[in-house]
Amino acid sequence: MAILKLDHVVKRFGDFTAVNDLSFDVPEGGIFGFLGGNGAGKTTSLRMALDIIRPTSGAIEILGRKPGRENAAEIGFLPEERGLYRRMSVLDTIVYFGRLKGMEQAEAKKSAERLIERFGLGEWTKSMIEKLSKGMSQKVQVASAMVNAPRLLILDEPFSGLDPVNQQVLEDIVVEMAKAGSTVIFSTHIMQQAERLTNRIVLLSRGRKVFEGTQDEARATLPGRLRLESQADPAGLPGVSSATRAGAADGWTTWEVALKAGSTPGDLLQACTSQGFALRNFESQRPSLHDVFIHLVGGEQETAK
Amino acid sequence: MRNILLVAAREYKYIASTRGFWVMLLVLPVVIGISQVAGRFFRPTLESAYVIVDASGQYEQAIEKRLEINYQRVELSAFSGYVQRWGLEDVKPDAVWAKGDRWFSDDQVAKFIADGGIEAAAELVKPHAPPEAPAYAVDKPNYVRAAIPPGVETSAGPDRFAEGLAPFLLDQIETTQGKRPLSLAIYIPADMGPASPVRMWTNGAPNTTLVDNVRNEITRVMRGKALEASGLAPEQFTAIADMSAPLTLSAPPQGAGREQVVIRSVLPLAMVYLLLVTVMTTGSMMLQSVIEERSNKLLESILAAVHPADLMYGKLIGLGAIGLTILGVWVGAAVGAAVSVQGVVADIVKPSLAAIDQPWMYAAMLFYFVAGYLIISMLYLAIGALSNSLQDAQSYLMPVIMIITLPVVFMMVSVAQQPNGIFPVILSWIPLYTPFAMLARMGAGVSLLEVAGTGAMLAAFVVIEMILLGRLFQASLLRTGQPPKLSGFVAMMFGKTTT
Repeated sequence: MAILKLDHVVKRFGDFTAVNDLSFDVPEGGIFGFLGGNGAGKTTSLRMALDIIRPTSGAIEILGRKPGRENAAEIGFLPEERGLYRRMSVLDTIVYFGRLKGMEQAEAKKSAERLIERFGLGEWTKSMIEKLSKGMSQKVQVASAMVNAPRLLILDEPFSGLDPVNQQVLEDIVVEMAKAGSTVIFSTHIMQQAERLTNRIVLLSRGRKVFEGTQDEARATLPGRLRLESQADPAGLPGVSSATRAGAADGWTTWEVALKAGSTPGDLLQACTSQGFALRNFESQRPSLHDVFIHLVGGEQETAK
Repeated sequence: MRNILLVAAREYKYIASTRGFWVMLLVLPVVIGISQVAGRFFRPTLESAYVIVDASGQYEQAIEKRLEINYQRVELSAFSGYVQRWGLEDVKPDAVWAKGDRWFSDDQVAKFIADGGIEAAAELVKPHAPPEAPAYAVDKPNYVRAAIPPGVETSAGPDRFAEGLAPFLLDQIETTQGKRPLSLAIYIPADMGPASPVRMWTNGAPNTTLVDNVRNEITRVMRGKALEASGLAPEQFTAIADMSAPLTLSAPPQGAGREQVVIRSVLPLAMVYLLLVTVMTTGSMMLQSVIEERSNKLLESILAAVHPADLMYGKLIGLGAIGLTILGVWVGAAVGAAVSVQGVVADIVKPSLAAIDQPWMYAAMLFYFVAGYLIISMLYLAIGALSNSLQDAQSYLMPVIMIITLPVVFMMVSVAQQPNGIFPVILSWIPLYTPFAMLARMGAGVSLLEVAGTGAMLAAFVVIEMILLGRLFQASLLRTGQPPKLSGFVAMMFGKTTT
């Protein structure tokens, strides 16, 4: 079952189309990456899913229902632009958000106290937000999003503004939430984090979906690359698109090899073996999501230019 | 509704935890308290002392008697007004003070003094006064005679007398009523005449009534002696001197006439003032609250769980409750002060409620108050939602405050003069000012028809304003960048915004 489903969604602000005919499904469970560059339409799409803004056309289904505040009890949301009431205590802030999501006072307080301990904020429980460091404030924001133990946790650029230590803390929390059964959707333009955390991704560019699927499926969109050492030029081998000389030593030459679409490093290794093509080294290079992003979005952005 | 109340409770708690709220809340009770304490303990002493040396032995007694007569005359006049105000004439119908306003002759005052003067008269009517009437407050003479200080030479002429007395004119002098500043010293020479005039010395702040009384009495005695020397019998002179024009000065009794118009408007005008102060205070709190949420970028988190309309209603209710708390404490302090000062309830509060004699009028006042709060608060909310900072808000706020307060202040002055004058009546039919104008005019009595008409118009205006400014508020919450132009406002109000 899809926990979030967008069906031909369009959102226009005046003459500007922020989201253009966007359709994708987020299956329940796991961590879903919502990727794209700045201005790709990620935040707008998430706001529409939460009914903060309404789509110009198309349909959205979240938790099997239409977007609306009645879903808030099962959703946790950490927006990209984050802030807190400066003169509210840590405990009151988290409890307040829990109450807004339909929790009873005692239940919200219990959950808030547990999260405060989990995030190492115990000694700051009754401190005003204005007394906290930025990192601590962000932990309070994350706790406010998670206080209702949401079935669906939506994090919009959650790592922006966090130092490496706190990024790691948040990564751990995201993984923990997913293991506990929550579905986590997070938007980011930092591909390394998406690569570490996500099972499935949607890649947006200029309001349009350019890819939806698993990380492996995303990598498969790129031609295979590998590095090998041989005495002969590999350019003539079956499946090789191009071979670039990268160095030479002891009569052996290092080649950067690009494969044709549909051809895998395994196919090339088999061809080398069957043809008696001498090899001293053979390294298959796995494309990163960053490479995929540049490959899929770079072209779009060039077109836009 | 749950989230509306949660937002309202948070707003209330948040504002109530600020120092500004407590300062605002307590400022009036503290000022009232201080003024009462100050009034009781730090009332300036108006009484001053005088000394007199009459080397001729002819004037001193006459001056003392004249001062007493004139003092009792002033008291008698005030006391007869008090008797008339509280209907106490029947306590002693033949008493001079039971005849109403008039000029009291020396004979009448002398008889009044013979009957015990103002102290005795006040004691006489005291048991018969209605419970709401304050006891008649007898004012003591604001001058008291002092004995010549020891060591001051009185028999060696005015210059020696002045020399000996000089240090005392800069200081206080012992009297039968304690120490008082010596403001006047009088020396009447034995051979008083053009070559040897009466000498007076002051401390720079003389009691002019005392000076006039002394001068007039000396003149009067001198004229009497001159007329007596010319053959006029002393009785005739006294009859002529006491003669005054047969004039009766009539004015409405206390609490009636022009005074009644003002008194009747006291509470309604106080309501207008409180409404104005309440909406301006809570409005600025509302403004800060919205701007804080916008500038702190926490609106998106809230809007994921709370509908923008619920957020707006929650703020209106929460800050409305703050306004009512301030209002309640202020009114409580004012009522406490009114009750503690005897006569205020009877003289001001009751008359001011006289025209508001129907239960529906109280309902109407409550309606106007709430409607006034909503109209102004919505403007503040919309401005807050449009502004990125308090500096931004100031540019919108200043003209709005001017447009609201200036006509209201003029209207309040106008109502005190003429409650149903053309200006207050016109303002009653302009929705922005209707709550203020109608509240202010309530004291003078307004027709049910006018209340119904303005009420219906006001209710429609509030609904339309809530819809249009509500849309502006909701559409502006997540807006970034520079505030839109006028056409942008209109588009947002009519739901043509793209968000």
